[in-house]
Amino acid sequence: MTAIIADHIISPLADGTAANLDAVLADRSAIRRYADHFPLVEPFCASLFAPAEIKMQAGFSRFESLCINAVQYSAEGLDAGLLSAKDTVFILSTTKGNIEFLAQTEDIALCDSAKRIARFFGNTNTPIVVSNACISGVCAIITAKRLLDEGIYTNAVIVGCDVLSPFIISGFQSFKALSDEPCKPYDATRKGLNLGEAAACLVLSSDSRWASRSLGTVMAGSIHNDANHISGPSRTGEGSYLCLKDVITDLDTLAFVNVHGTATLYNDEMESIALNRAGLQNVPVNALKGYFGHTLGAAGLLETILSLHALHRGIILGTHGFDQAGTTMPVSVSSATRRTDKKEFVKLLSGFGGCNAAIRVSIEPTATSEQIPMPDACRISGEVHITPTAVTVNGQPVATKAQGGALLSELYRTYSGDYPKFFKMDTLARLGFVASELLLSGIGEERFVPRTDRAIVMANRSSCLQNDRAYQKTIMPDNYYPSPALFVYTLPNIVTGEIAIRNKFFGESSFYVLDNEEQMKPLVSSAFMQRGVQSVLAGWVECADENTFEAHICLIEKND
Amino acid sequence: MNNELLKQQIIEALNLEDITPADIQDDAPLFGEGLGLDSIDALELFVLLEKQYGIKLQNKEEGKQVFQSVNKMAEYIEQHRTK
Repeated sequence: MTAIIADHIISPLADGTAANLDAVLADRSAIRRYADHFPLVEPFCASLFAPAEIKMQAGFSRFESLCINAVQYSAEGLDAGLLSAKDTVFILSTTKGNIEFLAQTEDIALCDSAKRIARFFGNTNTPIVVSNACISGVCAIITAKRLLDEGIYTNAVIVGCDVLSPFIISGFQSFKALSDEPCKPYDATRKGLNLGEAAACLVLSSDSRWASRSLGTVMAGSIHNDANHISGPSRTGEGSYLCLKDVITDLDTLAFVNVHGTATLYNDEMESIALNRAGLQNVPVNALKGYFGHTLGAAGLLETILSLHALHRGIILGTHGFDQAGTTMPVSVSSATRRTDKKEFVKLLSGFGGCNAAIRVSIEPTATSEQIPMPDACRISGEVHITPTAVTVNGQPVATKAQGGALLSELYRTYSGDYPKFFKMDTLARLGFVASELLLSGIGEERFVPRTDRAIVMANRSSCLQNDRAYQKTIMPDNYYPSPALFVYTLPNIVTGEIAIRNKFFGESSFYVLDNEEQMKPLVSSAFMQRGVQSVLAGWVECADENTFEAHICLIEKND
Repeated sequence: MNNELLKQQIIEALNLEDITPADIQDDAPLFGEGLGLDSIDALELFVLLEKQYGIKLQNKEEGKQVFQSVNKMAEYIEQHRTK
């Protein structure tokens, strides 16, 4: 049993889950137009906190303060010792954390932020950061469920947040992804998305002592890659379809699907295709981006929490901004609030790197959820280690001439050579890409055969700092030309997407930012807790700059 | 407008390693075949036009017209450049 025992949402609309739900029910939207908010950044529509709306914690950034506040309010009424307990883990869901300070300092590591937040509450476990682009929030819930199901922890405090700055807004503008008016999910006249700031916290527990407080149960979760493109949604909705197929067992109990619904032409079109392929064309669908904008690392949590509390009130929320159907495949969009007596909903997300995730949640306090055990035994079928000066495959040194960044190009030319997109990648993606090429070409399996049974799980400490610096240089006051080709790599999970696309791996793709490689082990093992997974391509891919990096990747297979 | 210069700028902006200006034909489609360019490359060409020539394209549709070939692009730059 993975019970949801507490939650809290802080958004520009309201502080508190109930207050946010009431605001949505009153059809209020926090999206406003900002013309001169940031110098150089073109006018945009977004949902932003006014500075005075954020209760700052002394010594913490506004990103960290929002996370702390969301956790603090969630914990009201819980046993005082729960947050600091030895069997409680903090999981942070964010795409860019403190990135707004990059121009001044490089001391912005996500894992350090997470540690400061956990320590604030006296929790001494090393926290986990899920940085899987826009699907981070749902992935964090899935990670928590797996760790709790396996008994590695008893409680998980999951907090999701992103704050907006010129870094993020300029990037989305360079992608021509933003609408210059309030967004219209699934509508025929939709023009793009709006970004939003928010923090949301969800506390999960497998401790039966908390059963009386349970607000619901996380029943099943699934993550799949489209293996199609690092920024363009799949035209067949493959990853989202596979996720929906995994988590939905019974249409009769399903009240609605809360979709990603970013209001870009391609996202909503892709989702409509996936929903149809999964036989969900008549199931009510709603999207919350019209109220809050796209809140990035908070989105999966915020939208899950609101959906949960709406369902407790017997309500399917409306879709602000939707008027007239505008997808080629028919879907049953809930334009306004409607009643339901069903007890389950599905939360669906997709993101850059081709990743997709879905969870099914029941409002029954102690429902029996799907639990797939970790395998008893696994074998390592291949292992590659790359440093700037040395390469080994299965422990055997590989002769190379170049060093540093040039070594990665040499390895690409020697072992691949037929994939010019390599030269567009940042160093982190190049590192993961060549390491996976060496590994997969060395184990003798047939390459490029589409498969859904292999997960890609990667992690590091520095996220994608090297490329963040490169993007930052394109938004400086004296040289403001935001580069979309660099911006896309400011998400660390793109490396997993590149490998999925190259190899046609449609299984899970996940990226964690962690304190050290050892911390990866339970996360890699837990990737086997998704239906159908037979092998995991696991990698520690650390990259400080173009010439300083280390990759240690292996293929782990289930013993039959 | 010098097509060779434009080709060189395209190669640099899009990191087209192993491609030389001679590999890009003046009237061949930039997208769809040959160079293997994708939607991110198209967006990066928007940046190239703005940075090098002070031309701001409004939307992706406009881009599709301008990026039909190097000839088309050069022609558009001649007519609209502000620097």
